[in-house]
Amino acid sequence: MMATIIRIANLTKRFGEFIAVDHLNLEVGEGEILGLLGPNGAGKTTTLLMLTTVIKPSEGTAFIGPYDVTQEPDKARTLIGMAFQEPKLLWVDAPWDILNWHAKICGLSAEERKKRVRWVLEELELWNDRLKSVHTFSGGMRKRVEIAKILIQRPKIAIVDEPTAQIDIVGKHRIWNMIRDLRNEGSTILLATNELYEADVLSHRVAIMHKGKLLVCDEPKKLKDNIPGGDVIEITLERDILNETFEKVKKIPRVVNALAIKQNQLKIYLNQAEEVLPKITEFFMKEQLPVRSIRMSEPSLDDVFAHYTGLTIEEAQKE
Amino acid sequence: MISLRKIWTVAERDIRMFLRYKFLLIMRAIWFVSQISLFGLVVNTMFTTKVQNAVGGSYFNYYAAGIIITMLYSTAVFIGYDIYEEADHGVIEYLLSVPVSRKELVLGRSIGGGLRSFMYVGPMMLFVLYLLGVSSFLQLLLALLSLFLFTFGVAGFSITLAVSIKSSDRFDILMGVTDALIVRLSTTLYPIAFMPQYYAGIASFNPLTFAADLFRWGAGMESTALTPPLLSAFGIIAFFSIFTFLGIFLHERRLEGGGWQ
Repeated sequence: MMATIIRIANLTKRFGEFIAVDHLNLEVGEGEILGLLGPNGAGKTTTLLMLTTVIKPSEGTAFIGPYDVTQEPDKARTLIGMAFQEPKLLWVDAPWDILNWHAKICGLSAEERKKRVRWVLEELELWNDRLKSVHTFSGGMRKRVEIAKILIQRPKIAIVDEPTAQIDIVGKHRIWNMIRDLRNEGSTILLATNELYEADVLSHRVAIMHKGKLLVCDEPKKLKDNIPGGDVIEITLERDILNETFEKVKKIPRVVNALAIKQNQLKIYLNQAEEVLPKITEFFMKEQLPVRSIRMSEPSLDDVFAHYTGLTIEEAQKE
Repeated sequence: MISLRKIWTVAERDIRMFLRYKFLLIMRAIWFVSQISLFGLVVNTMFTTKVQNAVGGSYFNYYAAGIIITMLYSTAVFIGYDIYEEADHGVIEYLLSVPVSRKELVLGRSIGGGLRSFMYVGPMMLFVLYLLGVSSFLQLLLALLSLFLFTFGVAGFSITLAVSIKSSDRFDILMGVTDALIVRLSTTLYPIAFMPQYYAGIASFNPLTFAADLFRWGAGMESTALTPPLLSAFGIIAFFSIFTFLGIFLHERRLEGGGWQ
């Protein structure tokens, strides 16, 4: 059992009438990578900003190690480092200056600073551009500069908000490996993301948020195993499906739930798919809805999200 | 417990940032040269001996010393514009997340904002001191120490306004109006003796008056038109203390609330 290093108790943030984070309760163990998963607007970033003491909670609190963020914010910040969702850079800044200053304010010695800044800039392929001002950089390059901050700082608790947004697939894998290394060197990682695969491959546990509330928190495998209807069939039809036909699908024996991903595409959650599949195809034949393709899969975190919200993460994002 | 190392690291960042605004620095230097070599010289010829004597012998010298103080003021307030630039790019959130207390952050920014102004105006100040001729180095040293505090106070004043207003447009307009009033209702350009009584009352308590007259005293100018140096020094200390305190107080309460426009 890991010791708790972050304890969030009834954490709430209101902006006028709007509740961005609603009585959130969560614990993060030391050395853990906890994925905070949810669509944009779920309250992930607001939660992280309260943990880093950038904004004050309206109600409740959080403990960073032994420090209450509302009572001892200065001490709480000594344990935390954050890589923001949007890179926090001024157009006149150069990566070398930004990272050196960050390392300095975090208390790294001159020698260590030089070594770490160089290593991270080389790893993130920014070394040759270290003296250029960031206004010449692409979105991905700026994002890498932002991530570099915590890789240099190596804080006790590293908070990363959508670390690989705008980064190509090779870069994503490199950053994921660096986050794992950071954790292996002793950091606890709180990772906010709306990328399901990222949360799945990196996190020991995943906490799913929607509309400011925590829906569930557990290991990715357990979350997936716990969905009633452990098998998933994705069916694409030649034509759009009518609502009443869709409702009939839900009533087929052993079908636990069904979701319309598109007008002609369904995701059906069921038990013992091999036995039920012929009945489903027969049903569509009867309804004169020709099936274009059928795909069977294991449940993903998207399915977990859909199970708790009735929406895919894309639909929730649109909402 | 406040860490001097952290305060200096924050100040160092602001100094470095300022030096990146090369266009601004060049333009301000051109402004200074034109004020001295065009306006100062021409206006000087307009005044009678009586006026020249009332300002210590030469209006040009009086004006040149005043212009240095307006330069110190206008470059020290620039920290407020930096805060808006940072709010615009989200850098304020980053600064609030680093392991530095809010007090260290504001003190560092006030010192950085003041120090960079002093460093930038330094060569122009030396030029003016060369023109004026320095009679007592001790006097000059005391005046310069007070001017250090003055620039920190102006930076604190600018931070206070920036975090109170939270709207770059309003801040811009307010600073334009403040600049017009604070400079013109001071002794940077003309002595109190020539002002109408109701202007003189305000000018007597203006930090720019304290700074301008103290600088003139430090450079060895002798005139009854100058505010007594002890009063000026106390005035500057009070200005510095009030706005540094207000800056810290408001920084802690206003910055974390967001709502920048």
